[in-house]
Amino acid sequence: MNFIAAGIIMLGAVLGAGFGMCYATSKAVDAAARQPEAASKIQTILLLGCALAESTAIYAFVVALLLAMK
Amino acid sequence: MDTKQIIMAAVGAVALSAFLVGYVLTSRALPKNPTKKQKRPKTLCFVGLLISAWFLVGTFITAFSGKKGHLAIEFEMFSERVDLFGFSIAKTTITGAGVLLALILLLALVRIFIIPKFNVETPGSAQSALEMAVEFVDNTVRNATGEFPMKSLPPFMLTIALYMFGCALSELFGLRAPTSDLTFTFALGLCTFFLLNYYGIRKNGVLGRLKNMGGAVPAMRPVMIPLKAVSDISVPVSLAARLYGNMVGGLLVMDLLKGVLGGYGSGIPAVAGLWFNLIHPGLQIYIFVTLSLTFIDEAMELEETPKKEKKPKKAKRSEA
Repeated sequence: MNFIAAGIIMLGAVLGAGFGMCYATSKAVDAAARQPEAASKIQTILLLGCALAESTAIYAFVVALLLAMK
Repeated sequence: MDTKQIIMAAVGAVALSAFLVGYVLTSRALPKNPTKKQKRPKTLCFVGLLISAWFLVGTFITAFSGKKGHLAIEFEMFSERVDLFGFSIAKTTITGAGVLLALILLLALVRIFIIPKFNVETPGSAQSALEMAVEFVDNTVRNATGEFPMKSLPPFMLTIALYMFGCALSELFGLRAPTSDLTFTFALGLCTFFLLNYYGIRKNGVLGRLKNMGGAVPAMRPVMIPLKAVSDISVPVSLAARLYGNMVGGLLVMDLLKGVLGGYGSGIPAVAGLWFNLIHPGLQIYIFVTLSLTFIDEAMELEETPKKEKKPKKAKRSEA
């Protein structure tokens, strides 16, 4: 039962984080293509945003580990 | 060694010798300035040589050690504990202390033997690399937190970045990296929490920090301050959980890879480790430092209370 729960948790979290990071990256590519001189700044912001978007998946991963490694 | 393994070893040896002969022949047959197309048989032979050598070595290791690949891994959320003078101490704590000692020794050697040779007129490569690193950290901190003088912040950030990187490297020696233990990452998060409050109070005073927590509108402050306090307390928790989760993810993937490969795990974990032990921790360290700086900057900024007099209406935008 715990393994099923861990699987469902990871499914939802990874879907959300993946969509979030994909959206952020596509916007960043747009911005960097429009203004190549601001690319380094955009990259920093993108990394930060990706880390924040990723963190939800990471929390879910920790919870799934707690469930699965019981 | 049973029959199956003898057959596998024989197949591996035959393939190895065949590719070796092929490699020697094709490299001799090449003209002086070969094109890419002429080089292709040589490259193919080299790849085949590598693969058959890996297969042969893996077969021998499996035969003599009896280790077979399996999908089950043993993993514990927290590190094992050892008894040291009656104290129960996590193994990762000892690893972390060892990493710190090694770093101190290395940096002391650099300070004693390399830095005195530096001069301003003709900088060598080591001096340029060091200056670039220091300048990069300085610029990162200044870009993130503005012009407020914080002389001790860039060295601190460089120190924890080096420390975390050393911890990530300790995984290469077969130890459990301290960064994949929740206690270590939570300690780093607490450092950020302390710095956040310290710089917030140092810049604006205690009342200023409260104002910063309460937001711009005075009437909303009694509601906003507890809310902001909760979100500030969640800063070390979120930083710790993020770093821990990322590092444990890398550790698990590497463990799984080693477990699945069993005796055939020669060479492949080294290539995968380039990503999971070097680049991925580096990225996470960068993110940790940048996020810490963002939180510190957020604690320092002070929004001005809006004045009661009405602002003049904005001029209409001219439509181009």
